[in-house]
Amino acid sequence: MVSPSPPAYRVRGLTKVYGDGATAVHALRGIDLEIAEGEMLVLLGPSGSGKSTLLNIMGGLDRASGGEIAFRDASLVAMDDHGLTRFRRRNVGFIFQFYNLIPSLTARENVELVREIALDPMTAAEALDLVGLADRMDHFPAQLSGGEQQRVAVARAIAKRPAVLLCDEPTGALDLKTGVRVLEALVDISARTRATTLMVTHNVDVARLGDRVVHFLDGRISRIDVNTRRASPSELAW
Amino acid sequence: MRSLDRKLLRDLWRMRLHGLAVILVLACGLSVFVMSVGMRGSLERTRAAYYAERRMADVAVSVVRAPDRIVRTLANAPGVAALETRISGFALLDVTKIEEPATARLVSLPRAGRPRVNDLFLRSGRWPDPAHPEEALISEAFATALGVGPGDSLAATMHGRREALRIVGVANAPEFIFVSAPGELFPQPERFGVLWMGREALARAYDLDGAFNEVVVRLAHNADQRKTVAALDKILRPYGSSGAYGRDRMMSDRYLTEELHQLSTMAIFLPVFFLLVAAFLVNISLSRVIATERANIGLLKAFGYDDGAVAWHYAKSALLLACGGAVVGSVVGVWFGGSVASLYQQYYFFPKLEFVASPLTFVAAWAAGFLAAGAGAALSVRRAARLAPAVTLQPPKPPAFARMPGPIEAFSHGLDAKSRIIMRRILRYPRRAGATALGIALAIALLIVARSFPAVMDSLLDVHFAQGNRQSVTLSFVEPREMRALHDVERLPGVIYAEPFRTEDVIFRHGRRQVQEVIVGVPEGARLNRVIGREGKAIALPAVGVTLARTLAAKLSAVPGDEIEVEQTRGRRVRMPVRVTGIADPMLGGSAYMDLSALMRLMREPGRVSGAHLAMDPARHSEFNAAVKAIPAFAGASFVTLAERATRKNFDDHVGLMIAIYSAFAAVMAGGVAFSAARVTMAEQERDLATLRVLGFTRREASYVLIGEIAALALLAAPLGCVLGTGLAMWLMQLFQTDMYAFPWVFDPSSYAFAVAFTLGCVLFAAFIVRREVDRLDMVGVLKARD
Ligand SMILES: Nc1ncnc2c1ncn2[C@@H]1O[C@H](COP(=O)(O)OP(=O)(O)OP(=O)(O)O)[C@@H](O)[C@H]1O
Ligand SMILES: [Mg+2]
Repeated sequence: MVSPSPPAYRVRGLTKVYGDGATAVHALRGIDLEIAEGEMLVLLGPSGSGKSTLLNIMGGLDRASGGEIAFRDASLVAMDDHGLTRFRRRNVGFIFQFYNLIPSLTARENVELVREIALDPMTAAEALDLVGLADRMDHFPAQLSGGEQQRVAVARAIAKRPAVLLCDEPTGALDLKTGVRVLEALVDISARTRATTLMVTHNVDVARLGDRVVHFLDGRISRIDVNTRRASPSELAW
Repeated sequence: MRSLDRKLLRDLWRMRLHGLAVILVLACGLSVFVMSVGMRGSLERTRAAYYAERRMADVAVSVVRAPDRIVRTLANAPGVAALETRISGFALLDVTKIEEPATARLVSLPRAGRPRVNDLFLRSGRWPDPAHPEEALISEAFATALGVGPGDSLAATMHGRREALRIVGVANAPEFIFVSAPGELFPQPERFGVLWMGREALARAYDLDGAFNEVVVRLAHNADQRKTVAALDKILRPYGSSGAYGRDRMMSDRYLTEELHQLSTMAIFLPVFFLLVAAFLVNISLSRVIATERANIGLLKAFGYDDGAVAWHYAKSALLLACGGAVVGSVVGVWFGGSVASLYQQYYFFPKLEFVASPLTFVAAWAAGFLAAGAGAALSVRRAARLAPAVTLQPPKPPAFARMPGPIEAFSHGLDAKSRIIMRRILRYPRRAGATALGIALAIALLIVARSFPAVMDSLLDVHFAQGNRQSVTLSFVEPREMRALHDVERLPGVIYAEPFRTEDVIFRHGRRQVQEVIVGVPEGARLNRVIGREGKAIALPAVGVTLARTLAAKLSAVPGDEIEVEQTRGRRVRMPVRVTGIADPMLGGSAYMDLSALMRLMREPGRVSGAHLAMDPARHSEFNAAVKAIPAFAGASFVTLAERATRKNFDDHVGLMIAIYSAFAAVMAGGVAFSAARVTMAEQERDLATLRVLGFTRREASYVLIGEIAALALLAAPLGCVLGTGLAMWLMQLFQTDMYAFPWVFDPSSYAFAVAFTLGCVLFAAFIVRREVDRLDMVGVLKARD
């Protein structure tokens, strides 16, 4: 099979070791993975199996200890701190379990923040509209519920139209109903912007949203499932 | 060690840089406190002991000539415990090693035994032998400056007669702890000093056989000084008394009293600054510790510690810091006091001056330190104690921000989001922002105050010398002489121009007020010695009436237009009403001024002058000096150019040190405040900064949020500091102002520029130290945590 376009990510023998000597923690023990452009990939696995570690390395927040990782043929391993910053700035949207909004900025301003450094961003209004918060634009984080804050975080992540969207347990702190709303926004937007999306979750149900599900165990990929049909968030029941 | 105490030490270690800032700021304030209070105490005790031991006079009086036979009457005056009559005068000294003649105050020693009042402290050598009238004692500073000692000879022109003297000893006296020539700002020990000689020798020189011209008195316990003064005045009036006076008009004591006063001002002024700032630093660092330890506090409470115990746990760290500050402050204060004491020894001549701070001084310093730290801790600790355990175990809500007041919000929309973060944070925590800005402003103010002293001094000297006293030499006659004598003076080598003057000791009376002062007669169109008016510019005297120095006018509560009475204190004792026609603002002294001819007419001695101010050809100074040394007609020669040079040099030496100390203080203050504020901002914003980095902002862009906040506060602080500094400088000048000196505040732009630039430099330095933490920011770690 000949792939029509090169993969978004190509990961080869990737390892990550924290610390050294007796206290060394092998968080990743050799990951091989190719991710196609526009793919929705779900990472599943027990706590401590290395999901976040991989996500952070893919997003240029952390560095691998060994192996190779390339984004669109550019090696992340070879980049210095400045290169990684530029990489994040141009290509990556992050969403974390804790929303990490800037409390002194309103929803709109939190989104506008990224407009200052992006090449072809949406307007804050557009981005917030996509997550259904057009009417809460001028509220500060302290005035928003958790789910609303997370949706602002989603808006902020997608406003720059990133090539990849990295989500680390985006609904981890939310209840079902709110979680579904956030996931709906996420899935909808990643489809529209055709962003390559990686989502870490502990929830097997959420895994049904992905094109593929990567199972982690102890720093390795234990199995990759391919979903023949992606579920929509509204079908999920936790 | 209890585990809580171990935690306390770990907490302290974690905030060690904060702690260091607190300790340094406290130490600055307390060291100044210990130095100034200790020095004040040391000076006071040393002076009191010296006065008691050497029987310092309480009252003194000069007369023209009083016969020895009235001594008994004087001794019987009410309140007199002991008295000494003596002969006192001035002489020009010819010291071969020094070109210019020096002026000496001569004081006679009793015919037998030691003085019963104003006894001497013999440093070296021996007492003069009454059988050898040429033997003399010399004051210590004078001896050192002239390079003479026991065994050396010098020639003195006394009352128009030249005599050879032999130094047999070096001494000090309680009445001459501080010695400066009449009318001079600072001591110039190579120009002016004291000689003590046998009574008979001086009696012969001054034609006062069987008579005296000065009385010094020690009062009995519980004596009423006013009664004694009145009695002495009554007895001595027929003998040309110029009025008895107390220690407040004895130069040396007056200087000392003023020095003590300045030390008191110093003891309050600087420490208060620093203690306030220390309290603030304790407050923000403890608040930060408590904010990060909400959960721990909840646990402690859940384990059953009560509010008091929790409060005490956190207060202890503040008290430990106070201890640190007090220890460092005490040690530095003692060292500081030691160096100030040795500086004082160049100006004040005691048998021995040591810096000894009393235990009470340390107790007060420690108490002040604990109070400041305690006050700073109280505010934040109270909040910790009040936290309900259930609340502390929940994660804190995101801090609530709100939109800013309309116009500011509108303004902020022109800015980028990062600048808006800065503005909102400043407005969200206005107390902390205000305190930070105030701390920085205080540092600026401190520097402005420190630098304003040299500026004021410079302008004072400029006005005094360049405007008021432009002569290079002033010669005084032994007695007022005919104008003719002026021609002899003009003929001295190197004299370009001689300007006559007349001085008259008088008593001014206005209503019930009375002041003894000098009237200076200034010729019309004076070019050398001119009267200073407002703004430090020379003014022309009105042809009639008297012009009073502002301080004198205030003492008399007289204004232009008033008629006051003038009474000559010696000679004919002329007593006349005179109209006040002007107010003068001399830098030094509080005399009165009159047109020369008007004054001579008033004193009914037309054509008699007291001396002359001279403009000189600098190339012919040596010739001139030699000639003056040889002519016995002069009672004194004051070398104004030399005095100016000495004064300026003297001042520059000390000012350099003072500026260095103040700059260090300001650096500690500004650096400490900025560092703590930046650390707290950093801690609070760690998460936001990490977020910015994750979003793809560079380190520099993220740092802007951190540095920008401090920089914005520093910029707000700059004008505030300038205003504060100006106010404080004006206020301090007011405090330092006395009858002797005017301390006019002057605006010196370079001081302001320096103060602002130096302080902002310290602030930026502190901020950049903290900024490095942005580089080390662990984005993943910070964002993984809930908070
Ligand atoms: N900064 C670090 N220092 C040391 N060890 C670390 C660090 N970060 C992660 N680890 C370790 O690496 C391993 C993988 O961690 P990682 O966060 O990737 O797990 P995870 O799969 O995301 O788990 P979870 O589902 O709980 O989030 C864990 O054993 C963890 O303890
Ligand atoms: Mg994880």
